[in-house]
Amino acid sequence: MTSLAADQPTQLSPRNRAAVELVLDNLVWLILAVVLIVFSATIPHYFQLGIFANIVEQSTFVGTLAIGLALVIIAGHLDLSVESTLGLAAMVPAMLFAESGLGYGITLTPGWLVIPASLLVSLAIGALIGASNALLVVKLQLNAFIVTLASFIWVRGLVTAISGGRSAQGLPGELRVIATTSIFQVPLYAWMSIICFLVFAFILRRTRYGRHITMIGGNPVAPYRAGIPVDRLLAITFILTGAIAGLAGWFLALRTSGASANLGTGMLFQAFAAVVIGGVSLKGGTGKLSGVYAGVLLLSSINTAINLMSMPAHYTTIIHGALVLAAVLLDSLKSIIRARYT
Amino acid sequence: MKTFLHNLIGATAGVLLAVTATGVYAESKGKVFYMVPTLLDEFQTESVKAIEKFMGDVGYEVTSLNADNKADVQQSQMNDAIVQKPAAIILAAVDFEALKTSIEKARAAGIPVMIFDRQIKSTPSDFTSVAGTVEIGYVAAAEIERLLKEKNGEVKGTVLQVLGDPADPYSLDIQAGFEEKMKAFPGVTIISKPAMQWEASNAGTIVSDQLVANPNIDLIFVHAAHLAVAAVASLEAKGKKPGEVMLVSSNGAPVGLDLIRKGWENVEVEQPTYAQAAALAMFADKVINKQEIKAGTYNVLGLESVVSIEAWGPNIKIPGAAITKDNVDESRFWGNMKAPSEPIKPVE
Repeated sequence: MTSLAADQPTQLSPRNRAAVELVLDNLVWLILAVVLIVFSATIPHYFQLGIFANIVEQSTFVGTLAIGLALVIIAGHLDLSVESTLGLAAMVPAMLFAESGLGYGITLTPGWLVIPASLLVSLAIGALIGASNALLVVKLQLNAFIVTLASFIWVRGLVTAISGGRSAQGLPGELRVIATTSIFQVPLYAWMSIICFLVFAFILRRTRYGRHITMIGGNPVAPYRAGIPVDRLLAITFILTGAIAGLAGWFLALRTSGASANLGTGMLFQAFAAVVIGGVSLKGGTGKLSGVYAGVLLLSSINTAINLMSMPAHYTTIIHGALVLAAVLLDSLKSIIRARYT
Repeated sequence: MKTFLHNLIGATAGVLLAVTATGVYAESKGKVFYMVPTLLDEFQTESVKAIEKFMGDVGYEVTSLNADNKADVQQSQMNDAIVQKPAAIILAAVDFEALKTSIEKARAAGIPVMIFDRQIKSTPSDFTSVAGTVEIGYVAAAEIERLLKEKNGEVKGTVLQVLGDPADPYSLDIQAGFEEKMKAFPGVTIISKPAMQWEASNAGTIVSDQLVANPNIDLIFVHAAHLAVAAVASLEAKGKKPGEVMLVSSNGAPVGLDLIRKGWENVEVEQPTYAQAAALAMFADKVINKQEIKAGTYNVLGLESVVSIEAWGPNIKIPGAAITKDNVDESRFWGNMKAPSEPIKPVE
């Protein structure tokens, strides 16, 4: 009798239930707050506006990459190609518009045209790679893991092939202005990334497209039977994911004032870590972009802490791995708490 | 259609002729494998071009294999090369220790192994051509000593050292050489941070964070020119002007030389790629024919280079150079991408 009673959900008042839900939904933000407080109290030089601005800035690239990755995972698939897409989307505009190294130094009149032109190039490259993934996964029904793994490899190979291992450096001032102009110490491109998060969070929660891909990720059969164009929405999601990776590449090229052949290596796993830490289920159908952004900020906060401490950088990857495991355990814990109290 | 067919036949015949010619050429002296550690680095890509050109000058056909910075991949490539019994293997090791057994295996099979750029002292090899990674650290230390003295009146201040990947012995050697020399100056604080995977934005992040945490940084020393570009981008984003924070880099890549011209960088410590590659070609016949290599001074592309007979074998050390705004345009620096056109002549 006792054990049976223990298995029964604890009845909470609606107000308490709402409070528990709020805490569970925003657990990553709470963890982030605790981490920031602990680091600020214990690491010299950590507690200052400049460092917090750096954390936001450094979250731009993995964060933007994680938006697309989260979309495709929520839709029930995977895209391993985003990191290489980012590399190519950084390299091509750098080669076209940079003045040194491999750069052709193309100039446009008026000079500001370089902003939309280079952005379009990056977005188009990303969208094209996304479209090729979509074709193979959605139309030909090939496994997304294998298809995007292949893209991850061939796209990075393409970056090396077109660059010959060399770099293109020295983007024009009209373009670099997005990296060198700051509002509250945060560069413009970081604000653009935050806007991206807000826009896609809105799309995911408040539009038919967002609701449908969440449903498809949870169970693709039911939406299909309900007349939702599953294949078309999945194809759009892959293309969007590619284009967003292209945008991340554009940001990265602006930050480094060009591109080298290995630019962005290692970001795929950080983006995955951020998505998982942010509460997106790898099984699809669950997740919010606000959690993903908190996950990215958490990773950046830790990276910055390691940069400021005398801890060897090797520990960064160990801590990231531990965080991902903790996130998975936390997810299970959240499910148990939800089952018990709400 | 007829024209297209003619062109196709012509092109096919051309390719066949080229292949045949290459085969005949290769038969004359033999095939050599060049094991390049990575192609994601301008120094390495230029080394491929230089080695293929210079070894071709002295009659060898070079096949270059890229290990993508993975020691296990390079070990497999060594195994594959040994099976093909080439005239020699040129090795720029991903990992000095991990490749030791592969070198021993090749030499046991009668294949001479020539070490390029990344010196291996733990096992004998047939010839080594290096600028010396530790020595690059020494040259950087001497230049940084000078720059700090010019700025602060004595050798004191704060130096941010941005290494490459912490698993890469190349960067660790530069660090060892640099820090060994800087020990003599207790007034210099060195903050060392690695840019994981030699990735430029990681270097940019380190510079951004450290500029906020330690605004008194006098000088940034990065271990590769492509990292210097990211460091400059971060300096620029923090509102710094060229020269406000001094910058020293190593390897001598084109982007580093551009930064010197623009006033952002003070010194680039060059690895003399062309001379290192030319030295291999100059001594290739002697190595492959197992002739004695005599110690002494040799002129390699105009650089006085010293051959010494070490415990690990004949070793030629070619002096690295400090590139500043005064000499940045000299064609001898590989970063200016003007490879010597004169054919290399073997040492008699």
